[in-house]
This record gives sequence, C-alpha cells and structure tokens, in this order.
Amino acid sequence: MKKTKFALAGAAALSVLTLAACSSKSSSSQPSTAVKMAKSYNASGSIDKNATIKAAEVNDAPFKGVSDTVLASNAEDGDVFSPGLQGLFKTDKNYNIVDGGPANLKLNRSNNTATITLRSNLKWSNGSQVTAKDVEYAYEVLGNKDSDTQQYSSSLEQIKGMTEYHSGKASTISGIEMPDGEKGKKVVIHYKHVTPSMKRSGNGFFWEYAEPYEYIKNVPISKLASAPQVRKNPIFYGPFKLQKMVTGESTSWVRNPYYWGKKGNAKAVTINVVSSSAAGSAFKAHKYDFTVGTTGIAASQYPTVKKLSDYTNVGSPEMGYGYLGFMVGHMNSKTGMNVMDKDSKVSNKSLRQAIGYAMNVDAVEKKFGNGLGKRATTLIPSVFTDYHDKSAKGFPLNLKKANKLLDDAGYKKKGKWRQTPDGKKLVLHFAAMKSSSTHDEEIQNYLQQWHKIGLDVQLTGGKTMEMNAFYDAIQSPKPPKNVDFFEAAWQVSSEPTPTMYEANAPFNMGHFATKRNTQLIENMNNNKAFSNSYRKTQFKDWQAYMNQQAAYIPESEGLTWTPVNHRIKNYSTSAADSNDSWATMGATSANPK
Amino acid sequence: MWKTVLRRVLIMIPEIIILSILVFLLAKAMPGDPFTGSIGPHTSAAQIHHLKEAAGLYNPWYEQYWNWVVHLFHGNLGTSFQYQEPVTRIIGNRAINTLWLAVFAMVLTYAIGIPMGLYAGRNQNKIGDTIIRVYTFVTMSIPFFVILVLGLWIFGYVLGWFPTTGSVSATANSGMATTLSRLQHIVLPGLLAALFGTVNIVQYLRSEVIDAKGSDYVRTARSKGVPTGDVFRHHILRNSLLPIAAFAGYSITGLLGGSLYTEMVFSYPGMGLLFLNSISYRDYTVITALVLLYGILNLFGTLLSDIILSAVDPRVRIQ
Repeated sequence: MKKTKFALAGAAALSVLTLAACSSKSSSSQPSTAVKMAKSYNASGSIDKNATIKAAEVNDAPFKGVSDTVLASNAEDGDVFSPGLQGLFKTDKNYNIVDGGPANLKLNRSNNTATITLRSNLKWSNGSQVTAKDVEYAYEVLGNKDSDTQQYSSSLEQIKGMTEYHSGKASTISGIEMPDGEKGKKVVIHYKHVTPSMKRSGNGFFWEYAEPYEYIKNVPISKLASAPQVRKNPIFYGPFKLQKMVTGESTSWVRNPYYWGKKGNAKAVTINVVSSSAAGSAFKAHKYDFTVGTTGIAASQYPTVKKLSDYTNVGSPEMGYGYLGFMVGHMNSKTGMNVMDKDSKVSNKSLRQAIGYAMNVDAVEKKFGNGLGKRATTLIPSVFTDYHDKSAKGFPLNLKKANKLLDDAGYKKKGKWRQTPDGKKLVLHFAAMKSSSTHDEEIQNYLQQWHKIGLDVQLTGGKTMEMNAFYDAIQSPKPPKNVDFFEAAWQVSSEPTPTMYEANAPFNMGHFATKRNTQLIENMNNNKAFSNSYRKTQFKDWQAYMNQQAAYIPESEGLTWTPVNHRIKNYSTSAADSNDSWATMGATSANPK
Repeated sequence: MWKTVLRRVLIMIPEIIILSILVFLLAKAMPGDPFTGSIGPHTSAAQIHHLKEAAGLYNPWYEQYWNWVVHLFHGNLGTSFQYQEPVTRIIGNRAINTLWLAVFAMVLTYAIGIPMGLYAGRNQNKIGDTIIRVYTFVTMSIPFFVILVLGLWIFGYVLGWFPTTGSVSATANSGMATTLSRLQHIVLPGLLAALFGTVNIVQYLRSEVIDAKGSDYVRTARSKGVPTGDVFRHHILRNSLLPIAAFAGYSITGLLGGSLYTEMVFSYPGMGLLFLNSISYRDYTVITALVLLYGILNLFGTLLSDIILSAVDPRVRIQ
C-alpha cells in the first residue's frame, strides 16, 4: 500500500524539532543521520505458531476504514489493513518488479503492452479465485466517472480507451483485454507507450491491487466506499484475513486459509490505533511489537524509546523529503502550463542559492531532530540508492559563499538589509505551515540565518500558517504577493520519476519550467532509458541541474523507524521482503518481551 | 406552562434556520476545501476538479445551501468527504461511543460530587471539608490532559488494570464480550473525567449549603425543634441543589459534545475528535451537521434546564 500512496505533507512530518538556538556550525557536505539503525531484526529462538503479533498504528485520529485501495485516500487505512493487503507484484530491494509474487508482469515494448499473469492458486480469503476480471475491475473503479477515487491520474490515461471510459463515452476500457476470459488468470493492458518506469513498483501506470469483482459487483461504484463489502467485511488475498474491525480503532486478523504462499508464521495479528502522546509509554509497557506505517513514534520520544532493553530500533530512510520552493513563475490557467516570470522577486538563481547556503540544516537535524533526520542533498531522496546522486553536496551551511553569491549578483547592502540589483528595497516573504511549536522555532532559526546574510525575510502573515490556508496560498495559479518562497514536503512513490516538477504539473507550485528540466525528466522515461545506466545518468544530471537552478532546494530527510520487540523474527524494512512480510514474520513467545 | 414550552419550541425554528445559514457560510469562508493538500506526484488536478464539481463545491453558496436543506428534509445529511460514508452513519457510530463514556462519566461525577459538596458544606472548616477543598483546588489547577496522560500511564501501562486504547477490544467477538469490553474501556477515562470534573459541583453545593445553613427558614425549622437530619434533607438539600438543577438541562444535552482530550489520549473515537478533524479537513457536510446538532441541543438544553428548575423550585414559573 505504501508504495502507491502519495501525500503532500508538512515539512514537520520529516523532522520534529525542539527549541533551537542553532548556533552550532557544521559544514559537512555528506550528511548522514546521527542515529544508525538496523534494517531488520531477527529474534533468536524458534517461532511460536500460536503467537499473536501486536502492532500499533500511531495516529491522533481514528482511521477511516476504507479497505479498498482504489478508494482510500489516506495512508492509515493502508496500514491497518496491511496484513491482508498484498501488492500484486514482488519487488527487489530497489522496487523493481520481479517474478514470484501473487502475479507476474511482462512488458512488451514492441506491442506496448503489459501482461499481468496471476498465480493459479491465488484466492480471496472467502475461497474464490482471484481472476482476470478482478484485476480489470480495479481499472473500472478507478476510471468510472462516478467513482470517489482520488487515484485516477493522467498516467492511467496512457491505457488505450481509458480516457473514453472516464468521460463516459465508452462503457468498457478498450485497452484492457482478458485473453482467457473473465475467469482466466491473464490480463493484457495496451498502452500508448510502454515506459521504463513501468518496470518499477509505484509507477502509477497500472494498479497494483485487485478488486474482488464477484464480491462487490452488485454495489454501484459510486456507493462502493460506504458499502459493507468494503467497510465491514472486506476480503483480501494476502496472508491474513480480517477477523474483526472496530472502525477507527483496531483490526484483528487470523491466517488466511486460502493464502497462495507459505501460511503466516503468526497465528493472528492485531493492529491498534495509539495516540502519539501515549505511544512512548505503550512501548515502555511492552504492549506492542512494533508500529506500522510511516507516522510512527515522534522523534521527540526517541531518547526514551532507545533505552528500552527489549526492543531494537529498526529503520530505513523515509520515502520523502522536505524542501524550499521558490515562486519563480505562475501557471497559465488556459494552457495548464507553468510559465517562468522574469520579474519575480526570486527569479535570480544566485539569490535562491544564497538562501539555501545560509540554512544550517545539518545542525538543526543533528541537534534538535534527535539525530533521526538529515539534510537532503538532492530532490531524489537517498532511499533510492540506485538513482540518488551520492556525490551531490546540496546546500551545506556556508555563509561566506551565500554572501559572495549575493554580492556578485548585485544585491548590495544598504544599512542592515540588501537591496535588489536595481537598488530597490528587497523584502522576501516566506510561507511555512504550522505543525508543532518546535517547528515554529526551526522556522525562526532559519529567518535568523537569512537575516545574517542581509536578507530581509519575513514570515507570511507573521506566523506559520494553518494547513488549509497554506495550501490555498501556494497552490494558486498566480502566487500571492505575500509568498516569495515556501517550505513544504513530498512523500514520494517507489518509482522516483519527479513528475511533480514537470512544466505541466499542477503541483509544481513554484512554477519552475525550463526546457532543460522538461528534457531531462522526459529522458528518464524515453526508449533509451530502458538501459539502466542511461536512466541513472539522466537522474544524476537532473539532480545536478535542479541544485544548480535552486528553484527547489532540498531541505531534509527523515527515517521511517520503529522499535521492534525482541520476540519478533524476520522483521525487515527491505523492499525485497515487503511483499510477503506479514507471512514470514513471527514471534518466539506468546507476548511481547 | 406547556403553552410556553410549545411557543419556545416554535421560536427555535427561525433560530435554527439562521444558525444553519451562519454555519454554512462560515464553513465555506474557511480557507481550503476537503481536497486541499491531498495531492501527490500522480494526483490528477483534473480528477480533483471533477470530484469538486461532482460535490457541487463550485456552485454559489445559496445553491449549495438549498441542496443541503432539501436533502436534510429527506433525512440525508450528505456524505462525508473525509470518511466517504453517510454523515448520519458516522455521527451515529460516534454518538454511541460518546454516550457510553459521557453517561458513565456524568453519573460518576454527580455520584462523587453531590455527596462531597454536601459533606463539605455541612462540615464547614472541619478536617473533612479541608481535605475536600484541597482536592478540588488540586484537580482544578492541573490541566485535564496531564491528568489523562498520567492516569493512562499509571493505571493503564504501569499497573495494567485497564485497557489503554479504543472503545472496545479488537478480539471481543460475542455480544456479551463486546459489552463487557466496552464497559472496561470506559472505566478509566470515565473515572478520571469524573474525579477531575467534580470541582464545580462540589464548590457550588458547598457554598449553597453554607448559605442555606444560615438562612431564616433553617433557623425557623431548627427553633421549631426539627431534627438536624430532617432539616438537612427537607430544607437545605433541595434549595442547595437549585444551581445544579439549573445546569442539568445543559449537562444532558451536552452529553453528545464529547471530550476532545479524553478521546485523543485514549484513542477513543467520539464526537469531540470527529468535530475537530472535520474542521481540519474542511469536511463541510460533517461540520454543518455537527454544529447544527449542537445548536439544536443547546436550544433544547436551555429549555430543559428551565423546565427542570421550575419543577425543583416552585418559585420559578415558566410564563
């Protein structure tokens, strides 16, 4: 589920910071988290086949309870249904789709098709077969004009006939074929173009789950999200089947007797919602084995949790990053294209770079993020080890360089503050979203840093903004006068093509659009990019180009981590293990140690 | 009296209409909409636009309001944007949870508060009264959420006497087991809410009893030789309960309000959290339904308080 979920989140989600004086300096160009965490945990001893795994979903709100991946619009639902939800495709450690999962995928470049072949023994938890129609029906629900889904995207319109179906002109999707019939196990999807990104999970071109067609076919698609088949008694083909759900609070699972693979090592699984204020205490009291999902225990509670002797902290770099975006243009509402404005206050890249070099992100992350975060160096997060440019330095603190950049670009000081190159007063407005009070301190620290280089940067509205007001401001096609740059964060998919920075991307909120940028992003998925080395070069060039342009400055990356109880066997954060992780995981004793 | 009650109920109708228009307008005036922020690399702006259009969010407010009113009269409060299910179902589920907890907490609050207040008033400045006063000062001065977190930590996690999260166990399957589990889950939050929510009752009662003790009718009763116990039961108690009775209507209709802190700390899905989240997510259908419900409950609460007061105090008449 995590692989296909996207959300734009506040930067504070990546780093929870406390009151900061932030005077310590760091000029490290190769940031790393202060905390080194294991990537897996394997308890000694043999698995107790009668044990129940107890997981916590840290969340201050009840989960919504939409078990259908097409219709769910939040990550929590995916977390609490994860023991039953299994992606159709297995991946390697780099999220490349490989054979061996519930279904295999074969791309045909000459025919522009993707063939999905389901396992012959793949069954739903009610005993019925998972069929070709189940795979196809997911696209019907996605594309139906009456569907509530937020997952329908332009990528899906690469499927032949999808646009016609979505507009209601066609009653079926002509580009999806079931050669062995609806009850068969094969689906062929015809695309306008097959792209290299399709080799990887999370690409958005095909849906990675199936819908139990026979089970839900009598429910109109517009009513599906609230139907009992989705809300009360959903069925899954993963290693566990839902035994009970208390909406908003908990899910409990037992082994799925029809599971295609080796039966679950645990007898049962329970997942309970735990408030962030109580999460640390809950682990101290040994109530849970680990947390599920990306929210997890707040970094501020890490010092307490790390002392727990019966737990080992396991983590991996987060699939996301915080960044600064500069309002360098606007969106032409008629064409839907982003256009650069030469007269934008932040159109000078030296100014943008100087703002980046003035930030002491290393010090902030190390000292106040409890070492769980680090400075991001490029717009491709380090979790993508095959595409992230390890040699990129990003914007390490360098006030001297920042001052020089501004001096050379003509931003001369008059009194305390610098002026524009043509001698006008320069006041920059910075928009940031409200999260915790500690995040406010972080923002104040950055303002202080920018003041040090003579830039009169003021917080939009004089304070951090409420989420809705923030996005209302930065998402407008024409940037408001009181926002020159902003801080936000992306949670990314496991396919790292940075489509959100394309010239026609509505969420390219700084409106950065250059030919070079468009070309490099296109190159990532052209025919040549089926060669991995070529593709890697394009990613590397794009990262270097974006850092040089500094229209978006990578700020920080966090860790997705959890304490894992010492009774748990086969806990792994590797993408290679994620497809059947719930089946392989087990416990060596009846209760958490 | 019943004529007056009927008139009051009729006056409520325009009040409710005005309230509903205000709520509707204010909800729309907030920045953002239910889809704000739910975007990602693969999100299609066209699809979001399509969803907003389908939900009528681009229509003028009066059209949206009219549609809402028409649906309301068909018993349809709309579908929640956030929860993707009918608002009536969401509120129904949460209201049940809230009622379980609120009724339990209210009964306990009165069961603890009334005897304490009476005892303190009757034994003014004695050791028992001093202890009760110290208790009320302490409970009043500690923020409620601190009490909740502390209580959860001690009784839930350290001593392990009570469940620590949710309203019912994930593994309770039969009807009986579910009911027992529900009761178990409300004991700790309910007890904490009651123990730390008695301040007003105790203080009101105490001062009322002290005042009543020195009043003419008590002195008269005593001088006539009425036994102290009888004086207390028949004269002081009834009069002292008047301020409590004045608030009883509000307390009853306020049961559905929910307790935000309790729900948050105990991950207890109730009305308080629903209201807060619906505002954060601009879930207009839920916001308008809840504010309207609370508004109506408040109006009825006022009426109910007046009726109760007139029943308790013969001097009060609803004219």
